[in-house]
Parts: sequence; C-alpha cells; structure tokens
Amino acid sequence: MMNKSVTAPARELDEALPFYKPQAREVELFEYGYRHQLPVLIKGPTGCGKTRFINYMAARLGRPVYTVACHDDLSAVDLVGRHLIGDSGTYWSDGPLTRAVREGAICYLDEVVEARKDTTVVLHPLTDDRRILPLERTGEILKAPPEFMLVVSYNPGYQNLLKGMKPSTRQRFVAVRFDFPAPELECEILVGESGIDGETAQRLVRLANAMRALKDHDLEEAASTRLLVYAATLILGGYEPVEACRAALVEPLTDDTETASALMEVVHASLGR
Amino acid sequence: MEEKVGELWHRLITRLAQDRYPQAAVCLTELDKTLGILFRALGGDGGLRLETAGATHHHARRGLLQRIAGSATKIELAWRDEHALRLPEVIDLFPQQSLNRDLYFWLAALASGEQGRVEPWLEKNQRLTRETLRRYPGMAGRYQRLLKAHLSQRPDPARLRPDEAAQEAAIRQALANPGAVSHLAPARHAPWPVPLWLHPSPPWVSQAGSDSAEPENASAGEAQNLSHERSRRGERTEMPEAERGLVTIRMENILSWGEFAKVDRGAEENEDLDQAVEAAEQMEQFNVTRDGKSVASKLRFDLDLPSDACDDEVLSEGLLLPEWDWKRQVMQEAHCRVMTLQAADAQPMELPARLNRTAKRLRAQFQQLMPARLWRRGQADGSEVDLDAYLRFATERGSGQLTNADNLYLDLRTGARDLSCLLLADLSLSTDSWVDNHHRVIDVIRDSLYLFSESLSATGDRFALYGFSSRKRNPLRFHQIKSFDEAYSARTRGRIQAIKPGYYTRMGAAVRHAHRLLDRQPAQRRLLLLVSDGKPNDLDKYEGRYGVEDTRHAIHEVRKAGIQPFCVTIDERGNDYLPYLFGSGGYVVIRKPQELPRKLPLLYARLTRE
Ligand SMILES: Nc1ncnc2c1ncn2[C@@H]1O[C@H](COP(=O)(O)OP(=O)(O)OP(=O)(O)O)[C@@H](O)[C@H]1O
Ligand SMILES: [Mg+2]
Repeated sequence: MMNKSVTAPARELDEALPFYKPQAREVELFEYGYRHQLPVLIKGPTGCGKTRFINYMAARLGRPVYTVACHDDLSAVDLVGRHLIGDSGTYWSDGPLTRAVREGAICYLDEVVEARKDTTVVLHPLTDDRRILPLERTGEILKAPPEFMLVVSYNPGYQNLLKGMKPSTRQRFVAVRFDFPAPELECEILVGESGIDGETAQRLVRLANAMRALKDHDLEEAASTRLLVYAATLILGGYEPVEACRAALVEPLTDDTETASALMEVVHASLGR
Repeated sequence: MEEKVGELWHRLITRLAQDRYPQAAVCLTELDKTLGILFRALGGDGGLRLETAGATHHHARRGLLQRIAGSATKIELAWRDEHALRLPEVIDLFPQQSLNRDLYFWLAALASGEQGRVEPWLEKNQRLTRETLRRYPGMAGRYQRLLKAHLSQRPDPARLRPDEAAQEAAIRQALANPGAVSHLAPARHAPWPVPLWLHPSPPWVSQAGSDSAEPENASAGEAQNLSHERSRRGERTEMPEAERGLVTIRMENILSWGEFAKVDRGAEENEDLDQAVEAAEQMEQFNVTRDGKSVASKLRFDLDLPSDACDDEVLSEGLLLPEWDWKRQVMQEAHCRVMTLQAADAQPMELPARLNRTAKRLRAQFQQLMPARLWRRGQADGSEVDLDAYLRFATERGSGQLTNADNLYLDLRTGARDLSCLLLADLSLSTDSWVDNHHRVIDVIRDSLYLFSESLSATGDRFALYGFSSRKRNPLRFHQIKSFDEAYSARTRGRIQAIKPGYYTRMGAAVRHAHRLLDRQPAQRRLLLLVSDGKPNDLDKYEGRYGVEDTRHAIHEVRKAGIQPFCVTIDERGNDYLPYLFGSGGYVVIRKPQELPRKLPLLYARLTRE
C-alpha cells in the first residue's frame, strides 16, 4: 500500500528542503509563530522528528538556524557571548543566541530542560513583547528583528519531570506536542527516509508500536522513529532483518537480557523467522 | 469381537497419544517475564498479571483405561479474565521441548488479542487465531508446527462415532483453516480439548449470569452437566459487596482442608450441593489459581493478628484519604482513615553493636560521596582565579570603566543538597516470615532502617522514617519513627527497635499519606522511598487488581507532584506488578533479603546522585 513513487517525487520537487512529513498542523502553527513573532516550544519523545521539523521550517522560511544542545553546565554566557583573549587584548565574541538576534535567524535550544533555570532567564526579555537582548557585558541592548525566532524543545518523559521549566519561562511560548507519527505516516517516513519497500516499512512500524506499548512498564523509552530509520537502513543495506532489528531496536532500548530476549520474540512475531 | 479389540486398541493408543512428556516439560516460571512482555507488546492489557491456570474439567470422552484410573478428565487450558492472563503451570503436551515453549508463546499472543468480547468459543478462537496470524506473520511458522503436532495427537475421526467424528472433523478444519467453521453439530461428548485455543468457558462467570456465551458444542445432556459445572465454579464471581465473603467456611472444615479459600458464599446458588465435596473441589481449583500464595499462611494471619496494640501512642487520627476505584474509574473521597501512631514505650538506645562496622563504613562513604562539591564562581575569596570574572574585569577596566576588583575567585565548596526523602516501610504481617534460620523480614527491615539513618545523617539530606500497615480501610496505621523535623537520635533508634509486624498492606493509602507529608517539604528534590516485601493487599477487595490500580493511581499522583517515587522490594515476584506501579526504572528487587540493609543506603546514594 505504501508506494515509493508517491513520496519520491515530492522530495525531488523541493530539493533544497529537508525531507519532512507533517504530523498535524505544526507547519501552519510554526509559520504563524514566525509571522507574529511568537516563540515556539516543541515537546515530544526522543527521535520523533523535532530537530528535523525545525530544520525543515528554517529552510522553508529561508532563515538560518543556530542550534544549541543544552546541558546542565550551559551558562548564560554560552548563549549570549563572552570576551576572548586575542593578539591585541580582549575582544567580544557573540554567542549563538546573540548571533541569531543580530542576523534575524532562528535560534533553537534543544533539550532546554537540561539547562539550569538561571540560564534560561536570559531568554525572558527576548520572549515577551520587548523582544530585546541586553548584553550586560558590553552594555549593548539588541532589538530583535521580526525575522528572529526562538524555538525550544524538550522531552517530557518523567525523568524530566523533576527538572521541569520555570513557569515564568514556560509561559512565554506557544507550545506544540509531537508524538510518534501515526502508523501510515510513519511508514511513509520510513519509505521516504531510507528507501525501503512499503511492506517492510509496515512491519517495522507495527513492531515499533508493539514495543511502544511496553513503555513505562517494561521499557523506559519508546522505540523512536530514528531507530526505525536505522533498522530500515540496515535492512536495505542487506543486513538480515531480524538481526537488524536486534541491533537497531532491541539492544539500544534495554540492557536487561531477559527483556531483550522477550523483545526478540516480539521481533520474530512481527517479522517472521 | 474384532471390533471390540480394535476399539480397545484404539483407546490404548489415545491414552498413549495424550500422555504427557515430562522430560520435555516447560514451566511457566521459566518464561513468565518473557511471556508478559510479549503479551503486552502485542497489545495485551498491562494491568493483568500472569498466573497459572488450574486444571479444568473437559467433557470429552475418556479412554477406558483413563476412566478406570479416573484420570485425564482434566486439562490445563489458558484463558484471560479481567485480572489475569492464566496459562498452564507446566506444558508437557509435546515430546519436543521447543514445541511446548512455542505453545506458551502462541497462547500469550492469542490472549493479547482477546478483548473480553462475548462470543461463542469456537468463533472467538478462530477469530483470534486469524487475527494473530494476520497481525504477526512471524507467528505463522510457530502455529503450523504446533498444529501439525497437535493434529497428530487428536483422536482420529475415522474411529469415532458418527456424531463425534463430525465434530472432530469440524474442529480440525477450524484449526487448519480458522474462520471456516461456524457451527459445531451436537455430539454426545464435548470435543476433545484444543490446547492451542483459549479456554471455552473460563471458570470466571459474571454475576449477571450472562450465559449467552454458552459454548454450542455441548449436547443437551452435556449442557446440563456443564451448567452444573459452571455454577460450581461460581466462586470466581466478583464479590458483590466489599464486606461480604471472607472466611465463612466453618473452622473445622478449614483445618481439615488445610487451606481455605476466599469464597463469597453470598453468591452461592447451589446450596444443596454437598458442602464438603464442594469445598474440596474449590480447594483443588484455588490452590493453583490464587497467586500461588499458600492460603494457609493467610489463615494464620487471621488467627494471629496482633492484639490491638496498646503500646502505641496515637498522635493523630481521623484524617480521611480518598481511594481509587478502577472499575468505576472514580476517586472515592474520604474512603480510608489514617491513624498516626508512635511507639510509646520505646527506650532511647545505641546502635546495635553488630551494625557498628558497617555503619561506620557507610558514614565515611556518604560523607565524601554525598554533598556534591562545586566550584562556586565569582567569589570574593577562593582557591583559584575565576578567569571569566577576571577577563570581564580586565576588559571593563581596559575600556575605561571604573570597576572594583572584587569577586574574582573560584572556590570549591560542599553545598548541602536541597533534598528531602521519606522512607516508608511496609510493616504488614508478612514481614513476620523468616528469610533464613535467624532472621525474619522485619529484622531485615529494622537493620535497613538503622543503616539508612546512619548513612543519611552523615549528609545534610533531610529525611523521615515511617512504617505502615492496614486493616481494611479503617484504619491505616501509620507509624511515625522519625519525622522530618526531628533529628536522628537515640530515641529514633529506640523506635526503630520497636517496629513489629502489623496487619495488611493498603499501599495506596500509605503512599497518599506520605505524599501529603512530602508536599509540606520545601526541598527542591523530594524522594519517596518505599520498602516493601509484597504486593498491595488487604482483607477486602484490596487484594488483586483493585489494590494494584489504587496504588498505581496514588503513585501517579506522587510523580505528578514532582516527587520521585521509588520502590525497593524483597518480593521475588516483584517483577510481576512493580513495573506497572513504578515503571521499569522505578524499582529494584533485592533477591537476597539479607542484603537489603547494606544495599538500601547505596541505592539511595545512586538515586540521588547528580
Ligand atoms: N515527520 C518526519 N518526517 C521525516 N522524517 C522524520 C519525521 N519524524 C522523524 N523523522 C526521522 O526521524 C529521525 C529523528 O528525528 P529528529 O532527529 O528530528 O528527532 P528529535 O525529535 O529531534 O529527537 P531528539 O529529541 O532525540 O533530539 C530523523 O532523522 C528522520 O529520519
Ligand atoms: Mg533533536
């Protein structure tokens, strides 16, 4: 039912655009946000297409993207910029956020909950109607141009519940929730992304959904679209399908040998031996 | 004459053919984790537990030898109801072990598609088979192998009476070509059992008595027999009222049967049946189906319940907590009463000498391990220059600004962590059982509390210790050993010493109360550490899925409030229900209870590291 010739031309049409299949109305929402200068928060499990979506939207809107992968050591300085030592004394170097503001680009903070809460407060003046970025250290106050857009994302798994975002940060964004694509769509993504045949894609997606049913009970994480793409890529490359699933879907998800062997039973049931 | 001999010979063969193959046997316990995962992955309900199915009577014609021996009227079949997926305890139907294993997997897959729809047995199994094969093409090979092996064991239609032969042929066709057979002609005997299918009429019967699912495979005479059979199995009916139905078998019967079952006599229809025989038959069913727990130990529970403890001082009573009713999906407000107690006569005491060495080692470990050591930036004084601050200072001065040369240093400090942990220990009567020749579970828990307190007091983390047990919903006994506001002291140790096994385990209520206590803690990170030795249970309907669902609900609320729940259990069967309650990363099973005291502090260290 999934048919490669349907998806392939679409890809050729916009050679410049990354391959992206919308899940719902996120493209529209993003464009509205962009046009009306609203910051956007994207939440969703790992590997469900958040990064891909942003790159796609950036290409569509013709804006560069500055991506920052947040971690708990990230400080405001890393976002805004710092003085560096050069040949003739010190000089100021813009951080990614400052650069995005100056250029009117999209600044994307991935896994924003990983950053400490005092780091994210630098976003506050940028994300209300002032849209300014004060550079405390140089005394500059940058006014964001209309093309500047701030996008943040995180994965609301319960491991992150304890971290969370400050409500005052959180309530500065319009938010959209991503989930794993519906089965049909995920098949199309697999076909489009890896070039695998529709039937294998369907089996892989069914397998992934079976494994996703185990989330929180037997597995901490659900099998992501990214891992499915990996499995499809291995299979297409000639790797034995069952073993491809072991390598791309089972072992990455569990260290427990009993759980792994149970998952292999699910693989066998879905793919056949 | 020849005919007679032929028939005898045939019966002999039949008997041989259905002989079991103990050397190829596969036990449920070897596979239960795997089967559980497979069942859930293929769409089965995550709230169901895996249990062994009791042997069920089948009404197929028995061979002469079997009739003489009185054997082979029973066969273990699989079915699921709203509480459990029930699979045979052992499968030894086939001479090859791999086939017996295959059968377990096949049954789990089949049951995962079962939605509890009411439909005739024959149709249901054909439909499930077809759907399973369609959704999971990888099951086809397995099914074909099983089918081949099973068909060779079924009676040969050519040797049966015409009515039975027709039935047998139909069953064979339904197996080989699921969906093809819509009707089973009546015959004198029920068809030969089909171990590849789910049970025709699970011994669980709804109270409403909807017998529309009556299998059509029974002839008139047999139907009567069947319904008789079913009413006798009425004990699996849901208890209509929470309060009804505990031990009502007379005491002398209990003692003579050696076990008792939780039977709701209120729902019994067949009063005129010989009570003794009936009790015996229930025994037969119950000792296999009910969680494998020996009912004898429950009996002791009721006879041995601690007399209403007068050595506890009541700190507060009358607080009412809600409880979750999963069946109706509603919160029952003000459903459980909580009574906070404290051991009144506990004497201040030193740490028991046998724990001294371990405690000392743990304290040392905790001292250096716990409070994270951090470089503080921009300090007025410190061991290193803060280059960032210095750079800024130099730039500003270079550009002509007047700035003060202060706060240019880095300092290494041990910041106390902003963390509160409430340890909640299960003090139900099951903690009275022995883990080895010298220690009861309660002793292990006691030592754990000692070492846990010793370790934590070496850090700045705030902690509280509580224990709980329950007797139905009124009251939940909540023992305060150490509150957050008290310091760990000789008095605390006295109260740890004084803990003793109590009643039952109404875990949901205890979790909810602990949640309230933690809610009042201002700390940034809050941890609820549950130490338990078994699943939620109580005398009323709390036993079984109700209790599990209520506890799950309470834990979900805890998590929603930003408190981290974690369970440490010594229940070997913890893997059956804990993932459902706490998630796969939310619990650990300690296989050797003796190791709990030493492991608990280390677990805490691991949980709170970061
Ligand atoms: N809607 C989609 N259209 C096209 N490809 C997709 C889509 N969703 C997921 N993918 C595929 O999944 C892969 C992973 O997606 P991506 O890297 O965007 O995940 P993510 O949500 O950013 O994950 P993480 O939270 O781990 O960063 C992509 O490389 C792409 O192959
Ligand atoms: Mg990403």
